[in-house]
Amino acid sequence: MAAPAHKPRRKVNKKTATFDAIAKPEALVRTPSFPLAAFLWPARGSVSQWEVLPLILMAVGLFRWAAGLWGYSGFQKPPMFGDYEAQRHWMEVTTQLPISQWYFHDLQWWGLDYPPLTAYHSWLLGKIGAIIDPTWFALFESRGSDDPTLKIFMRATVIVSEYLIYIPAAVIFVRRYSRLFGVAPWTAWVALVAILMQPATILIDHVHFQYNTVMLGFVLSSMSSMLAGRHMWAAVFFVAALGFKQMALYYAPAVFSFLLGSCIFPRINLGRFVVIAIATIISFAILILPIVLGALYDANRGIDSQPGLEGKHPPLPIFPQLADYLDTSAIYYPVVEQLVQMVHRVFPFARGLFEDKVANFWCAANVVIKLRDYPTVLLQRASLAATLAAIAPPNLILFFRPRKELLPYAFAATAWGFFMFSYQVHEKSALLPLLPMTILLAGKQGLGKEIRSWVGFANLLGAWTMFPLLQRVELRVPYAVLTFLWAYLLGLPPTSTGAYFQEGQSEWIQWITALVHGAFYALMLMWHGLEQFVLPPPSKPDLWVVANVGIGAAGFMLCYFWCLGKLVQESGILTRKTGQSADQKPKTQ
Amino acid sequence: MDSGLPPFFAYFEAAMSQLARLVDPMMLRVRNLEYDSWQTVYFQRSTVIATELILVYALQMFIDSAHGTSRRAAQAAAVSILLSPGLLIIDHIHFQYNGCMYGILIASLVLARHKSGLLSSGLVFAALLCMKHIYAYLAPAYFVFLLRTYCLSPKSIYRIQFFNCVKLGSGIAAILGLAFGPFAMKGQIPQILSRLFPFSRGLCHAYWAPNVWAMYSFVDRLLITVAPRVGLSVNQEALKSVTRGLVGDTSFAVLPEITPRICFALTLLFQAIPLTKLFLQPSWEAFIGAVTLCGYASFLFGWHVHEKAILLVIIPFSLIALRDRRHLSAFRPLAVAGHVSLFPLLFTPAEFPIKTVYTIFWLMLFLVMFDRLAPASNRQRFFLFDRFSTLYIAISIPLIVYCSLVHRIVFGNRYEFLPLMFMSSYTAVGVVGSWLGFMGVYFTS
Repeated sequence: MAAPAHKPRRKVNKKTATFDAIAKPEALVRTPSFPLAAFLWPARGSVSQWEVLPLILMAVGLFRWAAGLWGYSGFQKPPMFGDYEAQRHWMEVTTQLPISQWYFHDLQWWGLDYPPLTAYHSWLLGKIGAIIDPTWFALFESRGSDDPTLKIFMRATVIVSEYLIYIPAAVIFVRRYSRLFGVAPWTAWVALVAILMQPATILIDHVHFQYNTVMLGFVLSSMSSMLAGRHMWAAVFFVAALGFKQMALYYAPAVFSFLLGSCIFPRINLGRFVVIAIATIISFAILILPIVLGALYDANRGIDSQPGLEGKHPPLPIFPQLADYLDTSAIYYPVVEQLVQMVHRVFPFARGLFEDKVANFWCAANVVIKLRDYPTVLLQRASLAATLAAIAPPNLILFFRPRKELLPYAFAATAWGFFMFSYQVHEKSALLPLLPMTILLAGKQGLGKEIRSWVGFANLLGAWTMFPLLQRVELRVPYAVLTFLWAYLLGLPPTSTGAYFQEGQSEWIQWITALVHGAFYALMLMWHGLEQFVLPPPSKPDLWVVANVGIGAAGFMLCYFWCLGKLVQESGILTRKTGQSADQKPKTQ
Repeated sequence: MDSGLPPFFAYFEAAMSQLARLVDPMMLRVRNLEYDSWQTVYFQRSTVIATELILVYALQMFIDSAHGTSRRAAQAAAVSILLSPGLLIIDHIHFQYNGCMYGILIASLVLARHKSGLLSSGLVFAALLCMKHIYAYLAPAYFVFLLRTYCLSPKSIYRIQFFNCVKLGSGIAAILGLAFGPFAMKGQIPQILSRLFPFSRGLCHAYWAPNVWAMYSFVDRLLITVAPRVGLSVNQEALKSVTRGLVGDTSFAVLPEITPRICFALTLLFQAIPLTKLFLQPSWEAFIGAVTLCGYASFLFGWHVHEKAILLVIIPFSLIALRDRRHLSAFRPLAVAGHVSLFPLLFTPAEFPIKTVYTIFWLMLFLVMFDRLAPASNRQRFFLFDRFSTLYIAISIPLIVYCSLVHRIVFGNRYEFLPLMFMSSYTAVGVVGSWLGFMGVYFTS
């Protein structure tokens, strides 16, 4: 896989002495500037990666498993339980029912609403789990199961999935991205630990319970394929990400802009375009192939996708006009029905602008103007327009300057745009913009104060906006431990002010950054104090959650603008000095 | 709850309970044994962490007492003790206060490094004995060392320093009086003694601590199948023992029975050998070596030894493991065997990844780091011994995999004693091997 990319490494190092020169100032640092660097300090120098990497992976794995000893969402909370039950239920549905019924089965009880790859993943895990204990996934009987061994199995599946997909992807991405800038390997390890210890990701996946890292891992694989210049594989991995969780759509415009841009600039490359297009189509086809074949096979055996209806075909949930053109008794009709149902389940167009309290623009604006009073169609249009306006600038830049160095900024800005303005956003979606932003730590000056302070700010704010979600299931302690630990490791407030006031940056930018971040950190701490000790006034029981949403949305907006600003700055479109990027061109080709 | 610990520990618990009253009064009802509110759990766990600060302080003392090039080695050794999987497994998961106790022990060992600290070293150790009598195993080394360096003149062993003897004697008497006085006045001394020294229990502890007796039992089990063919008589009563050493007492079918008296004699004998050298050459390094060897002797030959007692060897040994490569190569199999032997203490599936991954993490981190830090010895190394320790470490991985996974898949719940027996025999080989190796290092350096 990665072998050809790093095999001639020793020779390359000698040839590209200029890149060593870039790395020099970092290598000359005599004392660690934040605790994580201090912990990895002995690993500088001659230590081989085969000694450091296993240690890093074991250490982050221990934190994940230990965090998983806490409760999960919906533990012993009837009637609906929570995310954990949803995932377990999908294992039950996929292993116990014919494939054509997966997207139709009892939709009121956590009906499957993720794309097919999640369903196949659930099927595999369910099959493995049933070997250990078949009662875990018994149809209907296993609902809301709180078997402690099942919990261990489920936790283990999250960790194993992550170690098979997300962690290799992160390791390879960090290696490629840091080498792009000539960052020393030791610095890249520090960045890797920081990325793998992101509090929000651990809290949502390993404590609250979900498989987001599988999707994020495919996205990272896609990005590192882009870094390696393997555009076809970038497309394939991104389809896998989309096929696992539709939320990966937040990145889709950036992926599209980069891949299309790299077919056009600096010169038009039609062959590349065709390869990418065909690879995308083929991988989508492979993705839905089991569903299609399953629908045909089940129809052939006389198994109905909706057993209660006695062979009658109910109207399609969306695009009902399709039925006018199609023959409902034709052999292909079950496939159409199946795919339409899948799209309907995966993209719930019928729901409101936002569901719960989430720290995005709409929910914050709702505090001032009651958005529910406006017609849904208007809101949908407004949401669409705002999202497009937010994601257009980063994607246009990426399209016209499809350079690898810009990928994380463009991905982050696009995902922030979606998070802030799009439809049906969930608190947990903040993981999506956080990932490309956090991987900046592995890049140029990634552990320098500017990037570290902003990445830290976004991550701590992100974890903080998830606090209401976590405290509902009594997860204050893991939240506090993991968040403080990460802040401490990276030398961030509230444990340290070391990430501010960098030499060589303009004085007033430094002061503004420090003051703005300081104000947000102070507000977050105060909010925790209030939330813990003061009851909200009876007339406004949601006051603290609303305050959380408002502060969070403002902070995320800042993150969006920072990513966009850095993207503009790094792309060099305003400075008009193309000479600056010329020296990096040979490396990126 | 029955307390099998000496009086100072009871006072320590009494102090804790005063704090606990503030947290949750329900915790302290004497009849409330199965009580486990989350406040209790949080409180108990945080007292373990808080009292471990004593260990941190003692380790800082240890680092400060090292100078020059050995300072970095001292830092590495200190961090390895603080992060020890033994302490994590026993204290923070299984629940005990060893971190605090070993902190006091290390403080006492470090105090003995300088002449001015000898008296306080002895007194701190006496106080420690009154907290946990397991440290009595190390007392002979203290006795010999203080006798030679503090009570006798450094120039001649025939000149007694009477004033020092009086100071040490009265200090120890005062501490013992403080500890046992209140109980003596109420006439509870016999009760305390019978609680502290349970000779009524069996030779091997439930999970077979990896010592000589574990190997002895293993050989006995093998002989049961061989004996009829060779014509040895088999004790039928032992065969009927359903538990087969899994729980409680072990009795031997072929080999002769072991009495507490034999254990005691063997322990004393193997403690006396290194102590003669300590008496003749009373340096601080020799003292730590002698403490380690006393720990080894009592762990290997003691009666009813618990797995946890291996820390009695590992922790003093850590302080000198980095002196040179010869010390390190004796330390390596001990580090592997000692920590692996603690695994049976944690048996739930949720704890399994923590104990194994953390131990492997620790072993990898510190064995690699120690390898870089330990200076070459000026004496020749034992070639075969190095090979032995590498091979030994390599075997541990398939063994752990078999015992924790493969066995259950192949045999289900049958032959449950097998993995335990393999584990304890394997780890016993490591502990005995490292003991022999260290004996060699001790007498040749």
